Amino acid sequence: MQHKLSHTNPIFQYFQLFPLFLLFLFLPQKSHSQHLSDTLKIKTIEVFAKKVIKEEAGKTTTRIDSIAMMNAVNSNLSDLISQNTPIFIKEYGRGAMATASFRGTAPSHTQVTWNGISLNSPMLGMVDFSTIPVYFTDNVSLLHGAGSIATKSGALGGLVKLDNATDWGNKFSGRALTGFGSYGTRDEFLQINVGNKKIQSQTRAFYNYSVNDYLFVNKFIANIDPVSGNYLYPTQHNQNSAYENYGLLHEFYFRPNEKNILIIRYWYQHDGRSLPRLLSNETDNNANINRQLEDSHRPVAEWRHYGKKTVLNVVAGANDQHLIYRLTTKVSGDVDQLVINSRSESSTWLFKLNYNIQLSSDLSIIASYNSEFSKVNSINSSQNGEQNGYDRHRQEQSAYIQISKSFGEKVTANLQAREDLIGGSVTPVIPSAGIEYHPFDNKGYFVKGNLARNYNQPTLNDLYYIPGGNPDLKPEEGLMADFGTGYAGTIGKTNFQATINSYSSRINNWIIWLPTPQGYWEPYNMKRVNSSGFEVNASINGTFHHIDYHINGNYAYTRSINRDDPRNWADESIGKQLPYIPVHSANVVAGISRSGYHLTWLWTWYSERFTTTSNDKTSPLDVLYPYLMNNLFVGKEIKLDKRKLGVELKVFNLFNEEYRTVLQHPMPRRNYSLLIRYDF
Amino acid sequence: MKIKRPTFVCFVVFLLMISGCMKDDEWINRHQTGALLPNGLFIVNEGNFMYGNASLSFYDPATRKVQNDLFTSINSLPLGDVAQSMVVRNGLGYIVINNSGKVYVINTATGKYVGKITGLTSPRYVHFVNDEKAYITDLYAGQVTIVNPKTFQITGNVPTLGHASTEQMVQWNDFLFVSCWSFDNTVLVIDTRSDLVVGEIKTGKQPGGLVLDKENKIWTLCDGGWAKTGTFSRTPMLQCIDPSTLTILKSYLLTADAKPSRLAINGTRDTLLFINNGIWKLGINQNTIGDQPFLNVGNHLYYSLAIDPKTSEVYLSDAIDYLQRGVVYRYSPLGAKIDSFKTGIIPGAFCFK
Repeated sequence: MQHKLSHTNPIFQYFQLFPLFLLFLFLPQKSHSQHLSDTLKIKTIEVFAKKVIKEEAGKTTTRIDSIAMMNAVNSNLSDLISQNTPIFIKEYGRGAMATASFRGTAPSHTQVTWNGISLNSPMLGMVDFSTIPVYFTDNVSLLHGAGSIATKSGALGGLVKLDNATDWGNKFSGRALTGFGSYGTRDEFLQINVGNKKIQSQTRAFYNYSVNDYLFVNKFIANIDPVSGNYLYPTQHNQNSAYENYGLLHEFYFRPNEKNILIIRYWYQHDGRSLPRLLSNETDNNANINRQLEDSHRPVAEWRHYGKKTVLNVVAGANDQHLIYRLTTKVSGDVDQLVINSRSESSTWLFKLNYNIQLSSDLSIIASYNSEFSKVNSINSSQNGEQNGYDRHRQEQSAYIQISKSFGEKVTANLQAREDLIGGSVTPVIPSAGIEYHPFDNKGYFVKGNLARNYNQPTLNDLYYIPGGNPDLKPEEGLMADFGTGYAGTIGKTNFQATINSYSSRINNWIIWLPTPQGYWEPYNMKRVNSSGFEVNASINGTFHHIDYHINGNYAYTRSINRDDPRNWADESIGKQLPYIPVHSANVVAGISRSGYHLTWLWTWYSERFTTTSNDKTSPLDVLYPYLMNNLFVGKEIKLDKRKLGVELKVFNLFNEEYRTVLQHPMPRRNYSLLIRYDF
Repeated sequence: MKIKRPTFVCFVVFLLMISGCMKDDEWINRHQTGALLPNGLFIVNEGNFMYGNASLSFYDPATRKVQNDLFTSINSLPLGDVAQSMVVRNGLGYIVINNSGKVYVINTATGKYVGKITGLTSPRYVHFVNDEKAYITDLYAGQVTIVNPKTFQITGNVPTLGHASTEQMVQWNDFLFVSCWSFDNTVLVIDTRSDLVVGEIKTGKQPGGLVLDKENKIWTLCDGGWAKTGTFSRTPMLQCIDPSTLTILKSYLLTADAKPSRLAINGTRDTLLFINNGIWKLGINQNTIGDQPFLNVGNHLYYSLAIDPKTSEVYLSDAIDYLQRGVVYRYSPLGAKIDSFKTGIIPGAFCFK
C-alpha cells in the first residue's frame, strides 16, 4: 500500500522548513541600533555569561529568556517548554494532560524542581506540565542529561528547574492581567509586591477557566445517508472538557543583614478538568463522564547564608497532592453509576542542605545532603464497593560532593559523586565528570563534555499499585555522555549565539507498563534503551532600521531505540524508535518591536510519531502525521509614568489547521485570546 | 513586470493562511473497493486502550491468505477503541467496540459497513435469541441491553439486580446464562421470554468464559480476581454448572497464582481448552486437569484462543508486547502447528463465518 503521509504540494514542503532558513538568514546581520525596546528586554544571552563558571563545567544548561516567559505569561509550562526548548511535549488536548520527553526518554525521566523541592509525583514519577502556570515562576532553566546530577539523581532525560526571585529595591509594585479567549476562556492574574531592603512580600493569584467546547467535524464516525448511501460526518462540540484552575503563591523574603536571607513560600493550587471522549466514541451521552480534581499544597522554607568564601543553603519543604478521579455513567435515565472512583494522596517532605566553599579562586567544593520522605495512599473503589489500594512510604537520602577546578583561564573541570540510600538499601555510587575548554581569550567559543552514571528508582505505583504493581522491579540505570560546542558573541549591538550538544545514553532496566491477558497493566524492566541525538540552539537579537528583533530557534534530533531482547521470532520492536517520540523536532520564536508595538511569531514542528513499537506504517492509525503549528501574537504597550498598560492579541493555530496530536483527540482550529496587562 | 518583495511576502503569507499543512483526513482517501470474503474467520484486534486503533482481520484457512485492516481499508473509518468480540448472523457481522460504546455491523461477504448500534455504555458481547432479538452485555452498566439486530435499535433492557457488570452469555433452552465477571462471583439466569432475571448461581471469583457442552452442562472459568488471597473464594477455578438445577456439579481448582483466561469448547463439544500461560485441555468427563499443558507457552504471550466449530482446529493469538501487530497460530486438533500469520494490535477475538 502506498504511504501518503508526506505533503503532496512541494510549496508547502518548502514552507515547513521556512522558519529554519529564516533563522540562519538573520545570523550574520550587523546592527546599527541605539537602544533596545522597553517592552522587550533582551536577555537571551544569559546562557553564555562571559565568566566561565567552573562548577558548571561540561554541563548543558538552557535558561528560558524573559521574552519567552512574557509570551507565555498566561500559559502553562507545557506551552512554554514546547515553544522554546528541545523537549517534546505530548499533549492530550487543549487544557488536558501534557507530559514531557526530554532527549527521547519517558515522562518520569524528566525531574521538575520548584525552589528546590521536587514536583514529580512519588506515585506516578512524572509531572503534568499543563498544571504548572507560568505566572508562578520567575526563572525556568533546563539541565540537560547528566547536568542534572548536581541537583538530584533520576533525571535520565534531564531536569526542569523552576525558581522564584525577588527585587530588593522594590517598594510597591505588581501586575494585573485579564484575558478573554475563544471557547469561553477566562484568565485572571494579580501580583502584588510590597517591601523594603530588608523585607519583601510577593503575592500572586490566578484563575483560569474554559468551557473548551470547540467545534469539529468528526470523520472518525459516520452515519449512512439512507437515500444516497453516502457518509454523513457529524459536527460535534468538544464535550465534557471544561477546565478550571486556580492558585495562590505567597512568598516572604527577609534579609536581616548582608549575610543572611530567609525565605518562606507557599503555593496552593486547584486543577479541575475532564478528559474528552475519543473521536470514535458513540456511547450514550450520559455515559463515561469523567472528572479529575487535584489540590496541591507546597510550603517551602529556605535559609541562605553567605560567608566570605562559603554559601550555605538550607531548604525544607513539602509537596502534598490530593487527586480524585471519577468516571460516572447513567444508564437508561437511572441514577449515576460510579464506574471508577479513585482517590490518592501523595506527599513528599524534603530537607536539603547545600554547602559551597571556595578554597581558592580556582578551586571549590560543593557538598550537599538531601532527605526525602514520600508517602502514597491510593484507593480505588470498584462498582460493587470493593476497595483496593495501597498505602506505602519511602525514605530517600542522598549525599553529593563536587570538586571544581579551573586550570588557567581556559580550562575548567569538575568531578562529582552522588550516593543514594533508598528505603534502607544503598545504590551504587553515581559518578560524573565534566570538562570545558575556552580556547580563545574572549571566552565566546567553547567545547565541553560530560560523563555520568545515573539511577532512577521505580515509582511507588510501579512497585505497589493494585492491580499490577511489581515489587521486584529493578531501578533504571543510565550511562550518559554529553559533548557540546558553541559560540556566543556580539557584533556592534547584535548579540548572537549558537550551540550544538550531542548526547548518548544507555538506559538499562527501562520500566514500561504493559497490559496483561487479565485486563490490567503491569510494569516490567526492559533490558535496554539507547537514546542518542543532538540539540541545536541558535538565537540572535539586535536592532535593524529602528526595529528591535529577536529570533530564537531549537532543533533536536532524537533516536530513542529499543535494545531489549526479542520476545520471540515475531517481535519486530528491536532496533526501533520508541512510540510517540519524534525523530525531528524544532521550534522558532521570532519577534519584532518598535515604539511599544510588538509582533511575535511562534512556530513548532515535530516529525511523524509512531504509535507501535514495531514502527509499522501499514495502517493510518500506526503513525501520526508531522505536527506543524503557527501562533502569532501582536500587542501594544503604553507607558504611563512608571506604570505600563499592555494589550495583546494572541492568535493560536494561525492557519486554521484541523489536527490531532494523539490518535483520537481533536485539537481546536484557529482561536484567539485577548490579554490586558497592567504593570504598576 | 517585477513583483516587489513586500507583495511577494504578502502573497506567500496569504497562501499559508488559506491552507493548513497538516493533512488530518488524508487517511480517508486511502479507500479500497470492497473485498470479496470467502469462508474463513474474522480476527478482532483489540488495539490499545484509548488509542482507538482496533482493527479487523480476515483469514481464509483454505488458501491461508490473510487480509488485515479490513474495516478501515474498505470503509474509510477506524473501527474504534478496544474491539471486544464479534458474532455473525444472517450474513451480517456484529463487531462490539467496547470503549466506543457501539456495535458496528458489516456485510460479511464484502466487509462493508451497513449500520451500527450506538448509545451503549461499555458493551462486551452480543447473543442472538432470534433474528429480531439480541442481548448485549456491558462492563459498566447494571443491565443487559436488548436490541433489534435488524433495525439496529435498542428495544429494552434487563436490569441485573445490583450486579454492575455483565460479560459472556450462553443459552440453554429459553434461559440465558450470563457471567458477572468484574469484581463479581455470579452467573445470572435470564428468562428470554420475559426478559427478567429469574435465578443466579454463585461461582468462584470473576467468572468469565461460559460454554455449553454436549451433555447440556455449562462450564465457566473463574480467574480469581487479581488479589489472590489463597482462600477458596479467590482461587482460580473451572466450574461445571447444571443449568436445570442451578447447582455447581464440579470445581477444578487451579494454583493460587494461576491467571486463567479464554475458555473454549471444540466442535464436538466434549473438550475444553483455556489459557493459563500455556494452553490446557480438559475432557468434559475428565476428573482432573493434569499437570502437562496441551501446548507449552514457550516464549509466547498467549492472549486469546478459539476453536473452529467445524474442524476443531485451534487458533491462538500472541500479543507479543501489546504495542505491535500480534501473531495468530493455527493448530490441528491434536496440537500440530499448521500456520501462523500476523494480524493487528492485540488479536483478542475470533469469529467463524
